[in-house]
Amino acid sequence: MIGRVAATALLGGIATLDATPVGQTLLSQPLVTATLLGWLWGDWATALAVGVVLQILAASTLPIGARTPEDYASGGVVGAGVALLLAPHGDLQPWREAAQLVGVLTGLVAAATGVPLIRWQRRRNEGLARWCEAEVRAGRENAPGIANAAGATLSFGVGVAFCALWIAVAALALRGVVENESLRLSRAWTLAQPLWMGFGLAQLLHAFVQRRLTRAGVFAAAMIGAWLTLVMGMP
Amino acid sequence: MSGRLGFRVFWRMAMRANLLQATWNFERQQGVGWAYALQPALRALYADADERRERLAEHTAYFNTQPTLASLALGAVAQLEEQRAAGTGPDAAAMVRIKAALGSTLAALGDRLFWFSLRPLAAVVGVLFALARPDTAWGAVALWLCYASVHLGVRFAGVGLGYRGGPAVLGGSLRSRLEKSVVFLAYVGCIVVGVAVAWALAPGGAPRPIAVQSALAGGLGLGLLSAQRARPSPTQWALGIGVLVVIAAWLHRF
Repeated sequence: MIGRVAATALLGGIATLDATPVGQTLLSQPLVTATLLGWLWGDWATALAVGVVLQILAASTLPIGARTPEDYASGGVVGAGVALLLAPHGDLQPWREAAQLVGVLTGLVAAATGVPLIRWQRRRNEGLARWCEAEVRAGRENAPGIANAAGATLSFGVGVAFCALWIAVAALALRGVVENESLRLSRAWTLAQPLWMGFGLAQLLHAFVQRRLTRAGVFAAAMIGAWLTLVMGMP
Repeated sequence: MSGRLGFRVFWRMAMRANLLQATWNFERQQGVGWAYALQPALRALYADADERRERLAEHTAYFNTQPTLASLALGAVAQLEEQRAAGTGPDAAAMVRIKAALGSTLAALGDRLFWFSLRPLAAVVGVLFALARPDTAWGAVALWLCYASVHLGVRFAGVGLGYRGGPAVLGGSLRSRLEKSVVFLAYVGCIVVGVAVAWALAPGGAPRPIAVQSALAGGLGLGLLSAQRARPSPTQWALGIGVLVVIAAWLHRF
């Protein structure tokens, strides 16, 4: 158990690195990290249920210009990690759904509270950048490499600590609620999950359509065509 | 030592471009990462250590653009540095202006191509696979491949393209091809979202209960309405939805 929690926190650090400082390959996206955690914890169903919802909500959060977006890299790991930690080992569906709801909510709160932490790191990096220029002018040509390594290390450390803290606090504080109120939370999940999915898909649709009638028509045709094919079978 | 830059230098620049945002900050944004990525070209071009350090220090100043298309700017500026090393290129002030122009032009196109089109598309494709095959890793694999194959391809090929095109790299057919890609991805995105909505309504052809379908339709409507304004953010809306549903479930009598 402790090994899995430690590996989850480490994945939080890796996801934080991928989100901005290193690579930006979308390894940090909630669906990817949830899949890795599902494999790690041996519980695909719980991890993917949380990962899909957080992914659809994260997709409309974009790092444009100097904007500091919500930290879905950490939020995805925290959400899936908390759900996996609180989910039952047996086949108790209401308890599992309660854990999924708590996981998504914790992931959303973690993503939102990660913003000030990212801003803090970015302010710390200002000093690092000034130090780098001074060192280069003083003859130390490897200063940019050292500064980058320091920036990436800071991000990784903050990501690991942030995820570990959130998972520990949420699991300790919410275990009783999930176990004792699983029926109510399960009922809430059956309503919240499609609401979140619809909300997230609409945000993405808005990004693609851009108020163009042709694109809205293409969406409508694709939806109706796919629905008819699914329900009635191929013509 | 001055001479045309080659594949090995471009490869090293592209590798270092992965760290472009390692020290992203509000003051110089990608400045330090930019200098680090350009360093292999400066090493190849400037034999004199003092001159090389001066150029490197200049490049630690402010720079910002979309991180994938930054490779094009890196290649273009490497070409200018090559001219500068030969005594024919722009001076420091002109270089700052060219970098600013390149950065904003590439950001305008790159944000639309990667952040507004490819990234959401990759997310929907991944979610669709995850909904259709919930017991496999296909969703995550599809999402990652859909985005990273293009992102890493452009990152590694972009330095050479930028070097050959110079500051006018977006002036030719490349810009038109990228603009067409934005439109194409938007149409593909509309289709994939349509299929995802249909799948969410009737996964595998079995329609979900009417309450679930109504909740999905309600979420779609709320999402389309809320997308008209930037505030509250989608995350704040989602949190609000979650809290309201939990309160409703608590008040409901079993």
